[in-house]
Amino acid sequence: MRTTLPRTERTIRRSLLRAAALYCALIIVAWCALFPILWALSGSLKTAAEIGRPNLLPAQPQWSNYAEVFTLMPFWRMFANTVLYAGAVTAGQVFFCSLAGYAFARLPFRGRDTVFLLYLTTLMVPLTVTVIPQFIIMRVLGWTDTPWAMIVPGLFGTAFGTYLMRQFFAGLPADLEEAAVLDGCSPWRIYWRILLPHTTPALMVLAVLTWVNVWNDFLWPLVMIQRPAIATLTLGLVWTQGQHVSRWPVLMAASILMLAPLIILYVVAQRSFIRGITMTGMGGR
Amino acid sequence: MSTRASALQRRRAHAGRLFVLPNLAALLVFMAFPLGYSLYLSFTRSDLFRPATFVGTANYRHLLDDPLFGIALRNTVVFTLGSVLPTVVISLGIAGLLNRKLKGIAVFRTIIFVPLAVSAVVMAVVWQFVFNTDNGLLNIMLGWVGLGPVPWLVDPHWAMVSLCLVSVWKGVPFATVVLLAAMGGIDENLYEAARIDGAGELRRFFAITLPLIRGALSFVVIISTISAFQAFDQVYVLTGGNGGPESATYVLGIMLFQHAFGFGEFGYACALAWVMFAILLVLTGLQLRRSRQENS
Amino acid sequence: MATVEFDQVSRHFPGTDHPAVDNLELAIGDGEFLVLVGPSGCGKSTSLRMLAGLESVDAGRILIGGTDVTDADPKQRDIAMVFQNYALYPHMTVAQNMGFALKTARRPRAEIRERVAEAARMLDLEPLLGRKPKDLSGGQRQRVAMGRAIVRHPQVFLMDEPLSNLDAALRVQTRNQIAALQRRLGTTTVYVTHDQVEAMTMGDRVAVLRDGVLQQCAPPRELYRDPANVFVAGFLGTPPMNLFELPVHDGSVTLGDWMIRLPRTVAAAGPRIVVGIRPEHLSRCTEAGVRIEVSLVEDLGADAYVHGRVDGAGPVIARADPHDPPPRGSRVRLAAGPEHLRYFDSSGQRLS
Repeated sequence: MRTTLPRTERTIRRSLLRAAALYCALIIVAWCALFPILWALSGSLKTAAEIGRPNLLPAQPQWSNYAEVFTLMPFWRMFANTVLYAGAVTAGQVFFCSLAGYAFARLPFRGRDTVFLLYLTTLMVPLTVTVIPQFIIMRVLGWTDTPWAMIVPGLFGTAFGTYLMRQFFAGLPADLEEAAVLDGCSPWRIYWRILLPHTTPALMVLAVLTWVNVWNDFLWPLVMIQRPAIATLTLGLVWTQGQHVSRWPVLMAASILMLAPLIILYVVAQRSFIRGITMTGMGGR
Repeated sequence: MSTRASALQRRRAHAGRLFVLPNLAALLVFMAFPLGYSLYLSFTRSDLFRPATFVGTANYRHLLDDPLFGIALRNTVVFTLGSVLPTVVISLGIAGLLNRKLKGIAVFRTIIFVPLAVSAVVMAVVWQFVFNTDNGLLNIMLGWVGLGPVPWLVDPHWAMVSLCLVSVWKGVPFATVVLLAAMGGIDENLYEAARIDGAGELRRFFAITLPLIRGALSFVVIISTISAFQAFDQVYVLTGGNGGPESATYVLGIMLFQHAFGFGEFGYACALAWVMFAILLVLTGLQLRRSRQENS
Repeated sequence: MATVEFDQVSRHFPGTDHPAVDNLELAIGDGEFLVLVGPSGCGKSTSLRMLAGLESVDAGRILIGGTDVTDADPKQRDIAMVFQNYALYPHMTVAQNMGFALKTARRPRAEIRERVAEAARMLDLEPLLGRKPKDLSGGQRQRVAMGRAIVRHPQVFLMDEPLSNLDAALRVQTRNQIAALQRRLGTTTVYVTHDQVEAMTMGDRVAVLRDGVLQQCAPPRELYRDPANVFVAGFLGTPPMNLFELPVHDGSVTLGDWMIRLPRTVAAAGPRIVVGIRPEHLSRCTEAGVRIEVSLVEDLGADAYVHGRVDGAGPVIARADPHDPPPRGSRVRLAAGPEHLRYFDSSGQRLS
């Protein structure tokens, strides 16, 4: 029978205290992160009179606020538009950026590295510089206030997306495709065959980042769109906010409706989100 | 080299060019060309109705005299400092807090990073509600401790504070993720050696963690600065497109939008955009050079 | 007096089925060089880390210099540690690495400089003081890690496989340097390694661990000559001791065609016992002994070993005359004197 001497009470208490302090700090930070959203949620279920009171839980949840959102703005229309734009651009980005990324990483063509350098330089250019000429181009093409303006510019991919995919492809072991090359496989087939199993994490990251970017975009829709029929959700919210300035319960309900899909996406695709952010961090190093 | 090999090379090169073409074309049309065109426009007088007329450096000269530019520049600098500095400091602290093995820490990480996903614009609307002088949560909470209501979005000084607050709230999770990732790359043994050498938790943080994440820190500062300098979305929604109470939140992004799409003065707006770009290049260059010197 | 004591120390990692360290009882004298050796997973590193304060203790006490440090922070224990991968602070110079602990303790700058210089002299690090770890070779980094430990003038040195990242030649050289250094400084040292050659050549005493349980702790010679169990017998020595598990008939065992009479106490131990014979104790004989067919000859120049097989008992290795080793395929007769035979019971424990 072993003689066991237990840890002293003092040290057990000390480590518990430390853990408690840590959890306290974490809870405070978590509260700071969530409280605006929680407050909006609470406000969305209150009456207009109740809105100024500090209670988190409304006396009687006014689900009618949510119903009213649909009368104040063509929510479903805008939702559909946003899904269309985000979906189209994401699909295009993922396809064309991975294709180009593969080419830059693995296919030998003259001037490849200089062109890629060009890509890298455009990464630094801020949005503000290019937005005006982009607007003018859209005008010249007659695409202002049409879905084309929302879809086409991003459809064939951006420099960032290609950069991301190229880095990823460059990191894949070369022997994956060497066997296929020796077998005489066409580059297209190699891309298609390698693509499916091995690049899914990078594709996920790119898809999530692109989707969220288009979904949340504000400046470009603001500049391009006048008709509610093709407007995005963010634009719609700001218009509604401008028209119904102090109708907080309904505005909060609208906000919650717009936040919900992204939060759900985040909870589901959390890892891709985080990886996407850290990949940009790595690239910056 | 056999002809078969070079035929293979040629086929692959051809495919390469083909694969890159759509992407490159889009980049040229929507990125490279606008870049050059906006530079050209900055030397013209141009608007929606009349074609561009060359005016040399008139736009730039006017910019220097323009009191609006002075106001916007000053506000932008204040906003940039007021949001980047707290963002960096707070996210350092939070990353340090999250960088440990504690039960349930994954849940906290998920919660704390939620602001990453949500739209800045929608959140601006929500924050408007929080900042509301009569009904907003912040003033309610201040009332609990006996402090008077703060005119968050109405008073010029407080409006800038509110703006910074929202930016920090949105920016901290991004910075935290990057810094946390960098911290995670630090060898655990280094901390053990430091513990044996007598370093407590704070000393370990300043003597080991901080120096070893310099690269990521530099990245965060640069990205945050660039984004704050050009800020538009949350400013427009929170305090309007005219620069808020007494132009307190009239930043460069708002000025640009106003002149381009409000007044229709494309040439002037492009000149403004290029000046902003130039300032950013200088700032980024300085920051990069400083971090390179530190690393040598 | 910097003695170290492990008093019934245990550590059980949650989620594992047996303890990493099981009731370790070990007393290390002041100035002693003690080696903890064993295969991976035996608990030697865990024991060292518990001594350092990097690993919590589930049961038992750890004492340094007579003081109970079981729950004390590493910094309160007055110890210094050399890690397997050196754990040098990459952003600091060699001098700053070595001075870090003293700086943290807020010692005066002059004192830090002097102590760092002293350690640098001892380890030939003076020309490297301004360099960063990434500009150093593996051997230099190892010396800096040692220097960082020496500067502290601690009560106890802890070393966690400090030589395993060095190439073979450097390892031998550094091994001797460490042993010489320890003798010169006289600091109690606890040294962990998986390499039994290191253990045998460096330690005043060697503690052999297996699956968290201490098998034997004794000076190297004693471990070699009088192993406490089958595991220790087979672990130390290259090539390893020959071990044969044989049934006991009538007070003797039969190895092939060699009948070995057992001492009375051994014969009474049970129906089966294990007989151990070291390769260097098997010599050619004309009568008695066991006859084997040589299946392989290892000619190492200064030494030669023949490999064979005994029917019903297993493989056997014997040292042969390097100038005239028996050829492959030949038959030889081998025997060892009774003083070289070691007996173990069927559970592996030594029978004397």
